[in-house]
Amino acid sequence: MLIEIKNLHASVNDIEIIKGLDLDVAPGEVHAIMGPNGSGKSTLAQALAGREDYVVTEGSVSYKGQNLLDMEPDSRARAGLFLSFQYPVEIPGVSNVYLLKAALNACRKEKGETEIDAVEFMRFIKDKAKLMELDEKFLSRGVNEGFSGGEKKRNEIFQMAVLEPDLAILDETDSGLDIDALKVVANGLNAQRDGQRSFLLITHYQRLLDYIEPDYVHVLADGRIIRSGGKELALELEENGYDNILAAAS
Amino acid sequence: MNTATPDTATIEVIRKTWQERPPAANPYLHGRMTRALEAFAGKGFPTTRLENWKYTDVRKLAASYPEWLRTAPDETATPDLEPLVGPDSVRISFVDGIYRPDLSTAGDLPPGIFAGSVSELLSVEPALEDKLGKLAQDSDSAFVALNTAFAGDALAIVLPDNVELQKPIYVRFHSSTSQLGTQPRVMVELGARSRATLIEHYTSGHEAIVNSVTEIRCLENAALNYYKVQDEHTDSWHTAAQYVELARNAKLTSMHLDTGAGLARNELHVRLAGPAANADCKGLFMGSNNQHIESRINIEHAAPETQSRERFRGILADKARGVFNGRIYVEPQAQKTAAELTNRNLLLSKGAEIDTKPELEIYADDVKCAHGSSTGQLDENSLFYLMSRGIEHDEARSILVEAFAGELLGDTGIEAIARKAQQSLRALRKVEQ
Repeated sequence: MLIEIKNLHASVNDIEIIKGLDLDVAPGEVHAIMGPNGSGKSTLAQALAGREDYVVTEGSVSYKGQNLLDMEPDSRARAGLFLSFQYPVEIPGVSNVYLLKAALNACRKEKGETEIDAVEFMRFIKDKAKLMELDEKFLSRGVNEGFSGGEKKRNEIFQMAVLEPDLAILDETDSGLDIDALKVVANGLNAQRDGQRSFLLITHYQRLLDYIEPDYVHVLADGRIIRSGGKELALELEENGYDNILAAAS
Repeated sequence: MNTATPDTATIEVIRKTWQERPPAANPYLHGRMTRALEAFAGKGFPTTRLENWKYTDVRKLAASYPEWLRTAPDETATPDLEPLVGPDSVRISFVDGIYRPDLSTAGDLPPGIFAGSVSELLSVEPALEDKLGKLAQDSDSAFVALNTAFAGDALAIVLPDNVELQKPIYVRFHSSTSQLGTQPRVMVELGARSRATLIEHYTSGHEAIVNSVTEIRCLENAALNYYKVQDEHTDSWHTAAQYVELARNAKLTSMHLDTGAGLARNELHVRLAGPAANADCKGLFMGSNNQHIESRINIEHAAPETQSRERFRGILADKARGVFNGRIYVEPQAQKTAAELTNRNLLLSKGAEIDTKPELEIYADDVKCAHGSSTGQLDENSLFYLMSRGIEHDEARSILVEAFAGELLGDTGIEAIARKAQQSLRALRKVEQ
């Protein structure tokens, strides 16, 4: 297993949001986590990425055999865990290029490698930018500064393409995207499915799954996974809505 | 009970020190210095009861003043003065308040440009008596009066009309002797349509008192890029004031960088005296440990269609204390004025503190003026975002601090000064950890 989540409980401001969640993801698998608003989808994503105010009160998370919960957010990232934010942060004064270079070099430093060659780096990120149909001028702009909602999401997937994680957690990456932007993002994601990289797609709507086919679909409600199935479960949700499944589960 | 306040005693010692010095040879200068000494004696050192000095207590400075003024300068000191800007500049160096031709290249200035002492200038141009040193008023400030009284011979830089000086003039004031008090004075006049870049750089090897005054007059259509970099020893006291007057269409672009001294206070006064005069002033001050840094700007719009923009930022760590006061004053005749003042501050620790006060005083009705200030800590969301990309906590913090300063330094013009600022930021980060 790449990641094994057992009986996870997590709280925000002392309010328990995740109430005993179990999930295993093997290398190369794509899991979709769906659920109504307030079910704990984003809390799960933030807790896995290591955000301080998302406190894990019970349970365990093993990632590549390590105790993920003992790791700082930056160590998690360097170990190959990537979170695509639902609301990417704008950081004026820090260019995209600068961020990516610092991020790549942080990984290289940990592996005992030298800093990336400047020319090689630029060639590498320009290729990846092309993949996400991002204009090169975006690279020198402040991180997400003045970007539209769609541009921000594309920038997240672009960063992911550059950092080449082992486990990508995508928190509502489809929200706020029009259909054209959604296609670009989906293409970018599909290009990164290589049979080894795993994905956790967190989404409210089935729409994204039309473009990225999951291996498994889980329904999250009130902090627990109440049903799991194959990709057909997403279609069932789309057809019947969450209410039926929630009623059936209770 | 002793009825004499400590201030009276201090003033008397300072007066005695002044009297013991050889009088200025130039009778005009001598008269000026005498009047300034009396102006100072009449005022004494400011106390925190004065609104303008509310947050900056100079009692300890005042206590050291008399003695440090008496410290003998080292006329033969050979400090290693690595210039801030490259060899492509005209260097004018003062060590312990004494002009050092051996460390200067003023001879490289094109003919027609004067850079030398005021007494030398007055000997060739006596008519300048009526013009020089009229911007800073001894009656306004005890520190200006003190400077006039003790500076004696000032550095004068005079550009005639229609001169475009390519090389920046780099003036270095370095204190080499421990516990020495110096009073640097600079007077600058740019002739009509002339252009120049002036950099003042203040450093000290040990604790010192530096009290500087700079007066700059830009005639019609003249343009000056002015930089002041203060990077003194952390036990030093630095008080400074610049008075700038801009004639019709004249333009000032300025950048203040304050990183050093235990107590630093800088005042920038700009008077937009002629129509369509323009001032664009930026400043970055940063402190750590127990540093106290005050930055004051006072912009007077005195003619129609004048424009000014002031952007000042502070970064404070540990128990450092910052004070910012920005005032824009628009006179009744200064219609169609546009002015914008912003102050943003970043506090890197719980012990750091800033008092900030932007002020607008507007007596004309057709103007566009805005001001704003904000103070905050590093944004936790941004910090988490950077860390979620694999960047270590401390590195992420310093990236955000540099970004905060970088937004201001972006178009500094002189790369070396932006680099200097970034260096100081890195030093700040080391202290902070």
